[in-house]
Amino acid sequence: MDLSIAQRESRLGWRFIAPSVGVIGLLIIYPILYNIYLSFFDVKLTGDKLFIGLANYQRLLSDAAFYGAAITTVLYLVGTVVGSTIIGLMVALLMNMTFPFRNLVRTLILLPYFAPVISVVFGWQFIFDPVNGIYNHLVVDVLKISSSRHSLIGNPNSALGVVILFDIWKHFPLSYMLIISKLQSINKDQYEAAAMDGCGPIGRFVHVTLPELYFVLGTLMLLRMIWNLNKFEDVFLLAPNVETLPIFTYYAAFTGIIDQGFAASISVVQFGVLALLIYFYVKKVLKW
Amino acid sequence: MIRYLFLVILCLTLGIHTSANATDIEFWTTQTQTDRMKTIQLLLDTFQVLNEGITVSLVPVEENDMPSQMAAASAAGNLPGLIEGSSELMLAFGEEGIMDIGSMTRMVNEIGKDRFFQGALKMVTVKDGKQYCGLPYHGWVQGIWYREDWFAKKGLEPPNTWDNILKAAKAFHQPEKNQYGILLGTKPEAYSEQCFTHFALSNGAAEFDADGNLIFNNPKMLETLRFYTELAKYNPPGPQNWRARDYYLQGKLAMFFYSTYIMDDLALAEVAAGSLTDENFPQLGQGVFDPRLVDNTRVAPVITKTRPAGYGAVVALALVDQKSADKKNAAQKLIKFLYQPDTYITFLHMAPGGMNPMVRGIAGKAGYLNDPKGLFNRYGRDKIEEIISGLDAIGSFTIVEGKSFPAAGKIYAKQIIPRMIYATTIEGTTPERAITWAEKQMQAVINE
Repeated sequence: MDLSIAQRESRLGWRFIAPSVGVIGLLIIYPILYNIYLSFFDVKLTGDKLFIGLANYQRLLSDAAFYGAAITTVLYLVGTVVGSTIIGLMVALLMNMTFPFRNLVRTLILLPYFAPVISVVFGWQFIFDPVNGIYNHLVVDVLKISSSRHSLIGNPNSALGVVILFDIWKHFPLSYMLIISKLQSINKDQYEAAAMDGCGPIGRFVHVTLPELYFVLGTLMLLRMIWNLNKFEDVFLLAPNVETLPIFTYYAAFTGIIDQGFAASISVVQFGVLALLIYFYVKKVLKW
Repeated sequence: MIRYLFLVILCLTLGIHTSANATDIEFWTTQTQTDRMKTIQLLLDTFQVLNEGITVSLVPVEENDMPSQMAAASAAGNLPGLIEGSSELMLAFGEEGIMDIGSMTRMVNEIGKDRFFQGALKMVTVKDGKQYCGLPYHGWVQGIWYREDWFAKKGLEPPNTWDNILKAAKAFHQPEKNQYGILLGTKPEAYSEQCFTHFALSNGAAEFDADGNLIFNNPKMLETLRFYTELAKYNPPGPQNWRARDYYLQGKLAMFFYSTYIMDDLALAEVAAGSLTDENFPQLGQGVFDPRLVDNTRVAPVITKTRPAGYGAVVALALVDQKSADKKNAAQKLIKFLYQPDTYITFLHMAPGGMNPMVRGIAGKAGYLNDPKGLFNRYGRDKIEEIISGLDAIGSFTIVEGKSFPAAGKIYAKQIIPRMIYATTIEGTTPERAITWAEKQMQAVINE
């Protein structure tokens, strides 16, 4: 049988990517499928499985704690993604100007992103320690804003705020890096042209900088959204009382009455939500 | 080359020959740290010199690995002669029928049933309270450590009853001065359960009745949870665990729950704080660091509501069932050796404060009080004996009227009680709702 060159090339191509497809299939597709499969079973610790249909999903969707976790996750996502992007953008604009020691400052800004999570978390916990922490010392003893000491991380109502703040602080350098690399490639002529058209600094930002940054910002927010929807260690280490969906899943799967089938169903729902979110985002915002 | 081989074979045969006359036993210990292993090996070397023909090999086994290792050894027909581990572990092995309960009961009586602290002995009691699946060897006691000087100034009674504890917690709780009444566990962690169990036992509240029925949601337990929730209001702000004992070392806390392992830290803190007086650092102001913390600290190891109760952990020595009478004899000889005062004290001094004697009369001995770190001398004989007396009253949810319920161990592992405490003290759930939830969870664990 004679194959055209294009057909042969495509066959060859498939052969080249076959190993990676195999590895990805084994490491990613199989666990996802197995997870979906598990979510229809009552899994005993002994490994016995009992098919229970959609019972896990029914239980999940009638669980008030699940909706609580979902709301927490949305707040966490919005807070961290928007926060770190805006701070990253502001810092990038600042660092794009020329001033003495700029290179040193640029390097220092990256530190939170490079520091190991666990050491930074301990630092933050010490800052917010209710008895010895610098935060309470400032607020209560020095500035006298509050008359009583609070454990911001311990209190379930304020812990989410601290966790969001932590994530913004830790991850804005990434946004900054991506944004500034784009900023530096914007042609100066465009600004000059805009200035001739009568645009002030704000006008130049809105009409030149923002449109140029659109896709970088869009991609950045998409990536951060995916990462943060699945973020576990930052939240759990700093404040295990903040129940975002991954932590809710962890408690269901690994503590108390271990319920792997139920935990699998949470992951499936989370996966589905994420997939939908990405689909619309890619279609509407990134317009791919 | 051939000559070499011959020599090796000769040595091996001789080795086998001599060991055929000797008895080999294994001693499994959960003290796996190198320095502790060295001390135990030294004791075993001494034992072997004194008992010709007995060889003891020391095998370190992590507490968590003990069950699987025992299962493997049992399958291989190579069980150790003697093991050292937590009382819960011994109860579990006792249930499986691999322990030499008869010999151990005889040995307890030989050493003197009344010489053991009664609470400690209860932790290893099986079969209607007459037999033992281990010999308590060392352990720690939990108590409320408190500022005796502060109590004296306010004329308060020691924190040994519910009323006294609450009264003192209220009296010393001055959050505006960054000073707090008491430290109780409120994070969903084991420490919270340890504090709570102490109160529950003092109120006669049980997890199981004598028939093994789960009765967690009972009026006495509910009363304990209510009291605990109320008392937790005098905690430092936010959820807390044992780490907050630092606040005590800083003079910001009047009372805190801790095991005897704190004795070391207290004495060290004293040394550290000794130089931080306002004489050396005038800017510190009066009373920021207490240079005499050990002298001003006392402990209440027993809490009373309807009955006196202590809480702690017991590590026991236990004989594993052996077919060979020689091995049995050798292991029993080793136990007797380990209980001899000099041996015993050397063993306990591996962790002064953390490892406390389980038989009377050791704590008062000059040799015991003269530990290598000089720790006990700082406290003095009276305080040490007072601390250890808590061992008479210790209990746990696992043992009810001489019967043990391993399900309690499973419940402990799932941290149901800590999560119940977190719910009432931090999330504001009512004690009634929280205890109902907890019992439901426990039932599910049992049914699993």
